[in-house]
Amino acid sequence: MTLILAVDDETLYQHLLKVNLEKEGYEVITAGDGEQAVEIVANRNPDLVIMDVMMPKLDGISSCERIRQFSNVPIIMLTARGEEQDRVAGLNAGADDYVVKPFSATELVARVRAVLRRAHSTEQITQNRYFVHGNLKIDFARAEVWKGNKPIFLSATEYRLLIQFAQHIGEVLSSEDLLVAIWGPQYREDKEILWVSIARLRQKLEDEPHNPQHIVTRPGLGYIMPAE
Amino acid sequence: MNNNRETAPQIEHLYAINQILVHAAGWKPALEEISRMVRTFFIFDNLVVYKADIQNQNMEVVFARAVGRGKKAEADISWGEDIANAILQGKQLILSEPIKENNQDRLTSPHILGLPLLISNKLLGAIMFIRFGGPYFTESGVRLAQYIANQIALAMEREELAQSYSLLAEQDRQNQLKEDFISTITHELRNPLGFIKGYTTTLLRSDTTWDQQTQSEFLQIIDAETDHLQELIDNILDSARLQSGQLKMNFQYVRLDAMLNDLLLRAKMNFPELSIKVLIPEKLEPIIGDSRRLSQVIENIISNAVKYAPGSVVQINLSQDQNRTVILIQDFGPGIPAEYIPRLFDRFFRNPDQSPTIRGSGLGLYICKLIIHAHAGEILVKSKLGEGTQFEIILPNHTSEIMTSASSHERVI
Repeated sequence: MTLILAVDDETLYQHLLKVNLEKEGYEVITAGDGEQAVEIVANRNPDLVIMDVMMPKLDGISSCERIRQFSNVPIIMLTARGEEQDRVAGLNAGADDYVVKPFSATELVARVRAVLRRAHSTEQITQNRYFVHGNLKIDFARAEVWKGNKPIFLSATEYRLLIQFAQHIGEVLSSEDLLVAIWGPQYREDKEILWVSIARLRQKLEDEPHNPQHIVTRPGLGYIMPAE
Repeated sequence: MNNNRETAPQIEHLYAINQILVHAAGWKPALEEISRMVRTFFIFDNLVVYKADIQNQNMEVVFARAVGRGKKAEADISWGEDIANAILQGKQLILSEPIKENNQDRLTSPHILGLPLLISNKLLGAIMFIRFGGPYFTESGVRLAQYIANQIALAMEREELAQSYSLLAEQDRQNQLKEDFISTITHELRNPLGFIKGYTTTLLRSDTTWDQQTQSEFLQIIDAETDHLQELIDNILDSARLQSGQLKMNFQYVRLDAMLNDLLLRAKMNFPELSIKVLIPEKLEPIIGDSRRLSQVIENIISNAVKYAPGSVVQINLSQDQNRTVILIQDFGPGIPAEYIPRLFDRFFRNPDQSPTIRGSGLGLYICKLIIHAHAGEILVKSKLGEGTQFEIILPNHTSEIMTSASSHERVI
C-alpha cells in the first residue's frame, strides 16, 4: 500500500490530510515537527511526504534538505499564500511540488496523485540513511557524525564539507569546486579558508591528522575521499 | 605658576591618562580627572571642549573648566571661540600665542592651543588649552595635548556610537514587535481560514462521500474555527478602537455578584472541564462600570488560565472597602517567568517559551489593561514559577461624575 507521511504542527491540518488521503486508499502517518519527519522518512521509507514550511524544531525547508541527503522520496511542501520565497526555497531544497494554504481538498488529492504518478515512472533510490567510511559514520537523518562509537561535533560548514566528500566518494574535488559548493561563488579564490577547514576537519575525524585516511590531498588537483 | 613647573610628560603619565579613559564612565568625567592629574606637569588655566555641529557649521561648548588665573574673570576672558571656529574650517591644530610675553595684564594676552578632535578625518569638535600670560607651549607640551585630544576624541566617538546603538536597538525592538505581530496575526488568521476551507472542500468533494458522523465532525471543526476567527477579529477591532479612543464605555451601576454569576454560567458552557471557585463578600456595594467590558476582562483572564494552566482550579476572590473594589483571579499552573512579567500587558507580547500550538494574538491582556484603565483602575500580575499566576484588578468606587471624566480622558489618548 502506498504510504504517505503528512507533517504539520497543527493537528487539525494533520487530520485534514489524513482523512482525505485515506479516502483515496493511501496509508497515512502524521508528524508534528521536522525532526520527527526526517526520522520517519529514514525508518519507514514512505512513498510521499507532504510537509508544512513553518514548523517548530526543524522547519520544512531544512527538513527537506536533510531528507534529500539520503532519499529522493517525492516531497510536496505546504506554503502560505503570499510567501513566494518559501516556495522558491522549498523547490531549491529539493521539493517536487507545493500546495498553497488554504487549499481545497480536491486540489490536494489531485496534486498527490500527480506527484505519485511522476514518481512511479522514475526509479526510487533511497540510500541508506547511514554512510560509513572506515571508522567514520554519518547519520544523514540526524546530521550526526560518529568516529567509532564517539559522536563528533562539527560546525555546519564542516558538516557540509564532509557531506560533499561522502556524496562524491572516489572523486577528486578541486579546491574551487569545494569553495563554490560550500561557501559560494564569491569565495572561489579563497583557498586558505578551505585549507583551514580541511585541517580542522582532519583534527576531528582522523586518527593521525598528518596521515589522513578520510580526506586525502591530491597535490595540484584537490582532495579526495578514497573509495574503500 | 611659572615656567619651571612644566616638565616633559613621561610614559607613566600617558599610561595614567589612558587608564583614566578606559575606566571612566564617560569622556567628561575622564577629562575632569585628566585635567586635575596633568596640571602637575602641564600648565593651563582654562580648558574648553567644543562639539562640532557640521550641519550648521557651528561649534558648541560642551565642557569648560577655569582652574587657574582665569577663575574670577568668568565670561570676560578668552575661551578660544575664534580658534574653535577656525578649527571647524581647517581641521588643523592651531597655536595662537602673543609675540611677547606679557606679565602685566595676563588675562588679555592668552596663549591658546586649539586641537581638533578627529576620528578618521571626521571632525567631532575641538579642545582648547588656554594659558594667560604664558609660558609658551613647548613641543612636548603640544604633543601631550595632542595625545589627550586623540584619547578624548576616541572616548567621545565611543559614547556617541553607544548612544546610537541603544537608539537603534530600541527601534529594532519596536520593529520586531510589529513584525512578530504581523506574523502572529497572519498565522492566527490563516489557520482558521485554512481549516474552514479545507474541511468545507472535504465535505464538498464530488468524488467521494462521508458518513453522517464524519460529516458532523467536520462541521463541528468548521463551526469552532469560525468562532476562533470571530474572536480574533473582535480582539483586533477592540484593541484598535480602545487605542484610538473610539470604543466608548457604557458606564452604569454594576452588581458584581450578578455579573460574576452570569460569567460563571458562560464559563461552564465554554469550559465544561474547568473548576472555578468564587469568594464574594455578603455585602457588596454596586460599582460604576461597563459590565460587558469588565466581564470581558475576567473572561479573558479565565480563558488564559485554561490555555496556559490547563487542569488548574481558578480561584476568584472579590473584596471591597470604602474606596475600592478588588478582584483577584488566581490559577495554580506553571506560572510566568519573571523576565516576561513587565511586558505581559504590552500589545502583541506573548510568552516566547509557550508552545507554538497554543493560539493567541498577544492582544488579550493589552485589551484588559485598556479597559481597566478606562475605569480609572489598575490591573496587576504576580506569578511564581511552579506555583501559579494571580491577576489583581483594582477598581475605585467612584461617583458617576468621576467616571465620566475618566472615560473622556481615556478618549483623548
